Order: sequence, then C-alpha cells, then structure tokens
Amino acid sequence: MGKKNNVTASGIEIRKKSLGLRIWNHRGYYIMFLPVLIFLLIFNYWPMLGVRYALYDYKPVGEPVFVGLKHFTKMFSTDAFWTAFKNTLELSIIKLFLSTFASVIVSIFLNEMGNLFAKKTLQTIIYLPHFMSWAVVASIFSLFLSPSSTGMVNGLLKDWGIVAKDGMGIYFLADENYWRPIYYVINLWKDTGWGTIIFLATLSGINPELYEAGDIDGATRLQKMRYITLPALANTIITVLILNLAKVMNLFESVFVLYNNAVYSVADVCATYIYRQTFAMALPNYGYSTAVGLFRSLVGCVLVIVCNWASKKTRGRGII
Amino acid sequence: MKKKVLSLLLASAMVVSLAACGGSDAPAESSAAANNNTESSAADNNAGNAEAPAEEFKLEKVKMVVNGTLTATVDNGQAEFEKQWEDAVGVDLEISQLDHSGYVDAVGRLFASQDYPDVMIMSADMYAQYAPTGLLWDMTEAYDNAEFQSRMTLPAINEALKKDGKLYGFAPTYGNGCVTYVKKAWLDAVGIDASTITNYDAYYNMLKAFHDGDPDGNGTTGDTYGVVAAGFLGNEAPYINYLPEFWQDAYPAILQDENGVWYDGFNTEETKAALLRLQQAYNEGAIDPETLTASTKIAREKWFSNDQTGSSGVFTYWAGSWYQTLTDNLIKNEVNEELVQLPPIAEVEAIGGYLNREAPVWVIIDDMDGDNTREQAIFDAFIETMMDGGTVQTLWTYGAEDVHWSTKAEEFTVNPGTDNEKTYSYEEGVFHLKQSPNDPNSVWKKNHLDPALVVSPLTNGFNSVEGLAAEGNLFFTENCVDAPISPVSETYTNESGTIYDAKMAVVTEVVTKNGDVEAAMANYVATVGSIIEQCLAELNG
Repeated sequence: MGKKNNVTASGIEIRKKSLGLRIWNHRGYYIMFLPVLIFLLIFNYWPMLGVRYALYDYKPVGEPVFVGLKHFTKMFSTDAFWTAFKNTLELSIIKLFLSTFASVIVSIFLNEMGNLFAKKTLQTIIYLPHFMSWAVVASIFSLFLSPSSTGMVNGLLKDWGIVAKDGMGIYFLADENYWRPIYYVINLWKDTGWGTIIFLATLSGINPELYEAGDIDGATRLQKMRYITLPALANTIITVLILNLAKVMNLFESVFVLYNNAVYSVADVCATYIYRQTFAMALPNYGYSTAVGLFRSLVGCVLVIVCNWASKKTRGRGII
Repeated sequence: MKKKVLSLLLASAMVVSLAACGGSDAPAESSAAANNNTESSAADNNAGNAEAPAEEFKLEKVKMVVNGTLTATVDNGQAEFEKQWEDAVGVDLEISQLDHSGYVDAVGRLFASQDYPDVMIMSADMYAQYAPTGLLWDMTEAYDNAEFQSRMTLPAINEALKKDGKLYGFAPTYGNGCVTYVKKAWLDAVGIDASTITNYDAYYNMLKAFHDGDPDGNGTTGDTYGVVAAGFLGNEAPYINYLPEFWQDAYPAILQDENGVWYDGFNTEETKAALLRLQQAYNEGAIDPETLTASTKIAREKWFSNDQTGSSGVFTYWAGSWYQTLTDNLIKNEVNEELVQLPPIAEVEAIGGYLNREAPVWVIIDDMDGDNTREQAIFDAFIETMMDGGTVQTLWTYGAEDVHWSTKAEEFTVNPGTDNEKTYSYEEGVFHLKQSPNDPNSVWKKNHLDPALVVSPLTNGFNSVEGLAAEGNLFFTENCVDAPISPVSETYTNESGTIYDAKMAVVTEVVTKNGDVEAAMANYVATVGSIIEQCLAELNG
C-alpha cells in the first residue's frame, strides 16, 4: 500500500509529505492552535464524559449506581417528556420563522427610509429590547398582562367593552390559548431589531446600479423590492434559517421566565422539564436529567447534520 | 523566526494562564497539608483529615449556606454580623446566602458542582430526604452533650427530628406557621365585624365583600380581591399554609393516618372539596387570580402596596414578627396599618388550628472520612455557640451590636415629617433595637433566630419581643397544631418532582380552568398512581 501522491494537470506527480513532516513544517501554527485545543478538550470534551451518568442513578450524595437504560425507559414512557419535546420543536421552529420573517420585513422598511436620522433613531429603538434580560422582559409583560385590575391590557379591554367591566380579566400568561401567541409577540418585540442587522448589512451590499436600472425600466418601488431586494436577500435568509435551525433544542430562558404550571401543555420545553426534574427536587437524581439532556443533544446533533446537508444543497457549502 | 518565537511565547502564556485558572487551589491545599488542616470545607478535607490525629484538628473556617432567614443580609449589616461572630468564636465565617424562594434549586446547583458547605440550613422536606443519605453528620452525641442542654426549654422539638434515634440536624427554634391577617379598614369599609368570621361561609362572604364592594375607597367596585397567596398549593411542607380556610381538613400530600399507615392525602374527597372551594373563589374574584403565579414576595408586596387597587383584604402569612413587619410595611406605604389576626375558622379549628410546620434545621455536612473531629469542631463553633445564651446567640437573634441593636443611650426618629413619625429614646445600658441599616424608617426586628420561638432562651435578659410580635407569637401558639411529618422513601425522593407536577396539573385544571374535579383526579391517578402506590408500599412496608 503506497502513499497516494497528487498528480498535476500536466501529469507531474507530486510526492505527498507524511503527516508528521507536514505538522513539523507548520509547527508554528500548531503551537498557536494548542491553547485552543486544550481549551476545547477541557471545557467542551471533558464535560462530555458526564453523559455516562445517563446510565446511573446519580445523586448529590453517595456513589453513582449503574441502572442501565432505566432512565431512558422512564423518559420514553413519560407523557410530560413527550409534551416537552413536542413543544420545544413547535415553539422554536415557529419562533424562528416568525422572527426571520419579521426581521426581513423590518430590514426592508428601514432600508427604504430616506431620512437617515429617522432611520438611525428607529434602528436604535428596535435594537434596545435585545439588551434587556429575559427576567426584566418577563416582569414587564407580566405587569402589562396581569389579570388583576391593575393589568394595563385587561384595563384597556374592559374600557373598550371587550371584557365585562365587573368580570375577571384574561389571564394571558396562564391560558393555554393565549400563551403561545403572547410568547411569539414578546420574542418578536425583543429580537426582531437585533435580527435586522445581518439583513441590513446584506441590503447595503446590493449594487445600486440594479435599482438605477430598475428606475430606467420604470419599475415601481414595490417591484424593485420584489425583483431586486428580495432575491438579493434570499441567500442570507436561507443561511440565517439554517444556522438557527440547528439551535432549536436550546430553548430555555425565554420560556422559563414566562411559563407557569397552568400552561405546561403548551409551554413546557425539554430544558425547563430537565430543570424541574433536577432542581425542583430536594434530592435530585442527575441521572434522569442527564438522560433527557443527552436525548436533547442527540436530536440537536441530528438537526445540525440535516442543516449541513440543506446548506450544501442550497448554498453549495456546508455549515460544519 | 521572530514569528515562531512570538507564537511560541504567546501559546505558552495562554497555556500557563489556563493552567493557573484551573489550579488556583493547589497552594492552599499544600498549605493545608503542611499545617495539618486549616480550612474545614467538607470537600477539601476528604483526604487530609483522615490522616490528622483527632485531637489535633484546628477549625479555622466555617462555610455556611443559608436562605433568606438570615435577615442581616449583605445590604443590611451582614459584614458587621460576620465580623462580630468571628471575633466571638475565633473562626472565620464564610456566608453564602442563597435566594430564599429558589433555595432548593440553588442548593441542588451547589451540590451538582460538588461545592459542599460545612453547615447549611434545610427545610423539613430537605432534611427528610437528605437524612438517610449519609451526607449529614449524625450529631446525636454532640447534641446530647451540648452545653445548652441545661438551658433547653423546648427539648421536644429536636427529639421529634430524630430518625431512628439519630439526630442529623439541629432546630434552634420551633417551626412557626401562618395565621390569617385581615385589614381592619377594609372590614370597616364593608361593614363586617371580624368576630363574626367564625366559619367558612362567613369567611367567604367577607372575601366576596372585599371584591364586590369598594374597601379601598377609590370609588370603583370589583378592582380589589378577597385574598392573595403565593400559589394555591405550596411546593414545600406544609403545602396548604397560605390558604388554610380553603384547604381545611385536606392535606394534599402523602401522610399518615391515626394508625400510622401512610396514604395519599391528595386523592381524597377532602382535597376534591377544597379544590372546588378554590374554583368558586377564583371564578368569583374572591381570590386574586395572580395567586396562581405569585411568589411570596410578589403576594406580600401586592398586599401592602401603596396603591391598594388590585390588592386584597386578607393575607395568610407567618405569625409573630411578621405581624409587626406587615404592619410596618403598611405604615411605610401609607396604608391603614391596623390588622386583625383571624382566629381559625371552625373548619380549620376542627383539625386543631393553623399548622405549625416542621422546624427548619441546621445540618453539618459529613466529609465521610470516618473521623468526627472536624464535624464536632464545627458543631462546637457553630451550633453550640448559636445557643450560648449570650454573645453569639444575641448575634443570631438580634444581629450585630451597635449596628442592629445597642445598649448605648440614643434617640432616633422614624418616618419623620409624616403622620407616622415616631421617636425612640433610650438611656445608657438599656437594650434596644436600632433603625434597620437599609431602611432608617423602620426599626430592626430580629436576625435569624426569633427570640420567641427559640428552644433555648437568651440568658442576658435582652428581649425585644413585645408589641405586635409578642402578640402574634402568643396568638399562634394558642391556635396551632403540628403539621404532618414528611414521608421518606426511595421512590418519593426520585419522583417528587413528577408527583408535584401532576398535583399542580389537577389544581390548575380545576381551579383556573373550571375543569371537572373527578376527571382531573382520574388523570392524576393515571399519571402518577403507580408511583404513589410504590411510595406507599415502601413507606408501609
């Protein structure tokens, strides 16, 4: 078995150097990479050894006890887990499409604004919610949406006669019919502005000659948007969707601060389920939550591979 | 060549810095070994102490984890408390005060990172779960030989905590519980005499009057509620203490009957009846709908808020010093402060009165090295001194001298320039509490130990339990009954989260969604029935 050598177009065979020799030749780069490698090993790969506890009863005290697939059996036979799994996918994917769509629309509107001062001011205003912590956002919206007589939204609904004056207000955050729409709205309010950055950057890169050509051809503003702007954005939209699709299983904080036990059926996600199973108990069993976490990671891994495949198909190159 | 040298240097620097981050404890460990033990952290001592001769153990530091019951918080004179404790005991004290409402979560995270303290406070639930694990040091002998035994006035409290004759945690006070407070001004506004509230019907009519009338006097009806609480069902024992009038004889947890047989108190007719009472109250505005999601802090602040619109007339909360605290907060918010402590209504009286919860305990983490000298030293430094009847017990009871309390002559005024202005004047040598460090408009009340509840009283004569706090304590002790004890079983430990979720599903389905109670309970049985059966089999086996 000889080494495979490269052959140039003109038929000259170039002898391939051994790996050791190539590493030696580029030793400077490898040395520079060494800290990163050590960092990755310690902080990313070393903790992965903890996945073995999915096969153990592992509590804060005592030695772990091997229990085989007990936790996986329990997990797959628990309705609450499947509810959380389904909710994770639904909430994440719908949120992803909504926020991407909203960001594109807002970006186009911002791009169309002629007044630079107004544009910059508006940009700043819509970026600001992104910098608020989810805990603060949840507090603000809980006050707005409070079912008690002090809730602003319920107050308005009563004033407008939509809700009976002496009746009970709508408990938006504790009603399965309202929770998800409210959740999507809050997410849009918080992150649409931030999401416009990448699209505005793409828009600023569109050749102005295309618009000038459109003007000469008598294209209306809407037509220019449809035939120049949107096609130019298409590749970026797909990229953003694909990159974010790989993260759909990571949903936690935004749900954790807004949900409650009345809406578990529509709001509980894998991460919040794991949290409750781990930290809401006086003596948690990390084995079970590790099993759920491992399953979540495996699904996330599959999604990354699917996204990589989709990326190759649509953009000609993968994401990993 | 220069680039290579530079890259090599850069890489070396980063590797060294990384290694330095990870190994910061190494010198301390070396030092500890050299000095034959210095710090006492359970995790740090596993190896070193085993080799140390027992009599040579020298405790230099105690790592303590506590919840919000230490009222000398960081912004309320904790540094001075810590300093005076260290001066009195001669040991360093490291206080880690975790979020009160998320204490169980926070302790779980702490243990998950293997960061064990030396001593920590545990609720009765936590104590029941951890006692059999071996994590908690068996302090029976230390407790029996403690100096404070000769001054104990309530020995039964800690005797009741023993599991198979062994004591794994020390309760410095009895449990205390909640009583129902009613705003007197609201009662007057709706024309109800508190003495007529003797049964559930009268209680419920009062709640309805608070919702349907205009007790806050803002000219609008229907914008106030009868009662507010932190949840319809609590997540720690005794679960029902914030709404006892609704739960009455129901105790929705695994508990023992009069023959000592364990059974599921949730799946009972009493619980179903309680859920229907809550459902009616929720639908009719007698109970603030935000009870579903409110934390204790939110419920409290809503109740004594300056703007009484959206507030409630009734609040069931901790007895004793909280009577004073709630009153002070009403004064601070310029709300009529007069409160009525409601004696248990007939249905609550039928079970003996308000529930006295199982006492929270201080536990010592066992480093499991087979040598008790470290743990005994911690007991001596921490628990023995906590009950010394003098300097250290005063620190735990009232806080730091000349910060929270003093015996020096002084005069101060709270709420100056308002209708509630009050001047306090003390002569030299007279014990008195000072203004709260973080709120000059209120007088400090206590630190960690409630002097009225403590199992072994102070011997220095310092006493601040007077007025409303004393009245509240007396009222509670005259109207309370011990709460049922918490179950301990392997399955219950593993599945308590799932069981609680299933219970809450029933509560929300029935109370807030008008669901059928039988159907909801059937769903509960279908979800966790087999788990409950297994728990009961273990408990009764």
